[in-house]
Amino acid sequence: MRWGMVIDLTKCTRCHGCVAACRVEHFLPLWVTWVKLAAYETEERGAADITTFPVRCNQCADAPCVDVCPTGATSQRKDGIVTIDANKCIGCRYCVIACPYQNRTFIFSWRDPGYFPGYPKTRYEKKGEELYPHQKGTTTKCNFCVEKIDYGLANGLTPGIDRDATPACVNTCQARALTFGDIDDPNSNVSRLIARKNAFQLQRVLGTDPSIYYIDGEVGGKDNKAPEHAMTGIHIQQKSTVDPRSKRLIEEGRKEEE
Amino acid sequence: MGERKVIYSTCKSCHGGCGVKVTVEDGVPIHIEGNPDSLTRGTMCSKGLSSIQHIDNPFRLKYPMKRVGEKGEGKWKRISWDEALDTIAEKIKESQEKYGKESVAVSQGTGRGYNRYIHRLARSLGTANVISPGYVCHSPRLGLYGLVTGYGRLYCDYHGWGGEFPKTNIMWAKQLEISSADSEMCNWFIQSLDYCKNLIIIDPRASAYATRATLWLQPRPGSDCALAMGMMNVIFNEELWDKEFVENWTYGFEELRERVKEWTPEKTEEVTWIPKEKIIEAARLWAIDTPGTIQVGSSLERQANCGHTLRAITCLMGLTGNIERPGSMCSWVLPDTGLIEDFFLELPLTEEMRSKIVGVDKYKMGAARTCNPDTMVKTILGGGEAPIHVWISVGGQQIVHMANTKEVAEAIEKIDFLVQVDQFMGPMAEAADMVLPAAHWLEIDDVYDMHPRFFISAHNKVVDPPGEAKADAWIFNEIGKRVVPEHWFDNMEEMLDYQVRKGHDGNMNWKEFSEKIVNGCWGQDQIYYKYKTDYWRKGGGFPTATGKFEFYSKRLEELGYDPLPVFREPGESPYRTPELFKEYPVVMSSGFRQPFYFLGQYRNIPWLRSFMEYPMCQMHPETAAKYGISDGDWIWIETPRGRIRQKCRTFPGILRGMLMATANWFYPEEPANNYHGLFISNPNVLTNNNHLDPMYGSPDLTCLLCRVRKCTEEELQENVFQTEEFGTVQKTVDDLD
Repeated sequence: MRWGMVIDLTKCTRCHGCVAACRVEHFLPLWVTWVKLAAYETEERGAADITTFPVRCNQCADAPCVDVCPTGATSQRKDGIVTIDANKCIGCRYCVIACPYQNRTFIFSWRDPGYFPGYPKTRYEKKGEELYPHQKGTTTKCNFCVEKIDYGLANGLTPGIDRDATPACVNTCQARALTFGDIDDPNSNVSRLIARKNAFQLQRVLGTDPSIYYIDGEVGGKDNKAPEHAMTGIHIQQKSTVDPRSKRLIEEGRKEEE
Repeated sequence: MGERKVIYSTCKSCHGGCGVKVTVEDGVPIHIEGNPDSLTRGTMCSKGLSSIQHIDNPFRLKYPMKRVGEKGEGKWKRISWDEALDTIAEKIKESQEKYGKESVAVSQGTGRGYNRYIHRLARSLGTANVISPGYVCHSPRLGLYGLVTGYGRLYCDYHGWGGEFPKTNIMWAKQLEISSADSEMCNWFIQSLDYCKNLIIIDPRASAYATRATLWLQPRPGSDCALAMGMMNVIFNEELWDKEFVENWTYGFEELRERVKEWTPEKTEEVTWIPKEKIIEAARLWAIDTPGTIQVGSSLERQANCGHTLRAITCLMGLTGNIERPGSMCSWVLPDTGLIEDFFLELPLTEEMRSKIVGVDKYKMGAARTCNPDTMVKTILGGGEAPIHVWISVGGQQIVHMANTKEVAEAIEKIDFLVQVDQFMGPMAEAADMVLPAAHWLEIDDVYDMHPRFFISAHNKVVDPPGEAKADAWIFNEIGKRVVPEHWFDNMEEMLDYQVRKGHDGNMNWKEFSEKIVNGCWGQDQIYYKYKTDYWRKGGGFPTATGKFEFYSKRLEELGYDPLPVFREPGESPYRTPELFKEYPVVMSSGFRQPFYFLGQYRNIPWLRSFMEYPMCQMHPETAAKYGISDGDWIWIETPRGRIRQKCRTFPGILRGMLMATANWFYPEEPANNYHGLFISNPNVLTNNNHLDPMYGSPDLTCLLCRVRKCTEEELQENVFQTEEFGTVQKTVDDLD
């Protein structure tokens, strides 16, 4: 089992929802962000290419950050997730330098003035210190919402399918550009996407074997027939009601159509 | 772990509508995410999610306050709600007696679920002078759709209920993918793209999907009407129109055909700067690959030819039969709670009230129900009798979004009594005589209803508002009760019950609805092809005078307008004002919107401000290089009205020869004495309020001319900002106490 993510560059709208959902989920200090959006904007022979690359810790199979950590604070779980034990971290920042993707952030003590500098911490911030503490002077990064994954597995849920076992960024994405699942299982949602859509890893040449894959393509070119599951609100259809004034007209309308 | 509970509500961080699930521990919200059992299936954007930080912002207004210093001096004194409301009621009555009922104005910002309260308050007070940004956002669309089809609300059917999604999706000057403003919800549109054959983006700058779309047209700002005419020309020439629909259900086909004859692809290319091959291709895709939808953006309504632009686009829909067909432009059957606007429509707008609307004689479409704000500004500055003496402003900041900021600020300072209802001290509040603290959507119980109209949903209170802040609806009711009690309610619950009373065959109440969260009509309960049934008219047809979809409008003719669409150049353009173009050689638009801000909002929410600290404008690298500007430079943008500075971001995805500036920018962290930095970077310092749309009175906010230059080293050393770091100096209300 190896958790991974597929990111569809065709769909990402640069809305920053994933960044915000991650901050909410982990009570991140103001200038710390686990998810970043990298803008790629070029023009070749008159044709512009405007792309957004959502980036976060790649949970590399061969992770340089694990190798350089002198205390074992950074380690890799059997399911591929690279975690940091803040109690073991001595703040040497070797890992920050070693990560070729620059996906690690050091929590400077002087850079944590609270959400509103010069004002008392907010209720939400204080709750965060209690529920999800971040230790100043240590390194931090995306952990694929490992707590949710563990909670889900312990409760018979499937990460990537069941919401409560799936990373917050995946759940919130309005474009559904993110897919999460087990890349070791050839039949999983992610493996099928990777196989079908010519997926690639960022800077594969670095040889770290990231668990995050990207797919790209064109918008459009699809059949416009609507399958029932895709219809708006169909999953909560029983809540639907019709204005009695319209009911009669609707009935008449249906007869007419038939 | 403390006691936890989960509360479901509805987001209102843009126009809103997304289902929300909030976890509260010991009374503190500790988590927010989308509600999976909602119409938006558990998704949310950065604006809505950051609400959890927003509500605890120490700069929130907590108490009613009255001004004790000069306007813009930032000196305030806390007062009680009773004193505030009694004073307002007194001022209203005084003004009504002295200057007439029309001298009282009620205003709003963009529609945030309080429109119906605004209009009810105005109507109950006997005034139709509602100051609304509608004339530059959404109203022209509704008015013109209404004129052509007989009903004002045409939506893009991204829902699949009729078995089909749009085969051709047109996004016209709109980024529906980043907010649910104006019409349908963002994630419905995105989902429909999974079933779309052609996506056509019409936008001078690349929005998220532009470079991957089937077709991307980059029109010169302000030339959109010409593009629509050019597309119709192709459809006529190649006989691509929907024969059955046009034959049976339209009026004025031949006249329209005659009108667009001159708009050959060649001429259209010359005017719009779009290669003619692309225009032809777009017309063909739109006409052949039906059904299709056109999502219109409000940038088109921020232009002084907006009436005809919208009319031309609506004709494009009719010509191809993209009306009331599954996957095309539709109107929706209402839920059993009925039309939410009945809440104010039940109070009549009398002829007497209508005749006193500011601008009514000139802007016969726009000023038929609401005041023309630019005319108001000009009248006040003209030195004549001021049309407005008491102004109750809720949520919006006219001082920021209206054209020609300097004139607007000067006029607003002259208002006898201005009340601002807001969450923060912004520029509009600093110009007010009294400010009232408003609650956030996480802090209120209310009925949510914005544009889609096929559902309403509940805002359920999650936490208490800070200090004595109150829901907008409560404030309206309290003001109303003090002046015209016969039209208002004893308490909030009664008012909420009243709004949902028609549900469940007349048995619904607020409590039941708030538990149910959503009340709507969708799926199999929606109907298509209403014009073929008795829905609008016995025997079929549209609810227009002719019973047809009207390409040719007699109603417009009666009002003195051209009955057919016609293109006019913007007030300032390379072709209309060639002399000015020599001096101001860059075409400018203030249409640049970021997904994490909404209009003038959220620059004081740290999570969101971290995404873009300073206002950016975009120029093509080649255009920028021509003026010695590189990526990241602070630049001056100048027009005959003044100059502002923004940071330049060179962007290959934008039309050459133009500049796209971020709109509505002020600096909340800046102090009161410069209206929170209102004149530093707001592009409305540059816009022109002399040239307005004849139908709607809309100014050219997204098409004008400017010149640019890089800020010099000396200028960069100047003390532009009084605040060093965002969020550190501004005084909170607590400090004022």
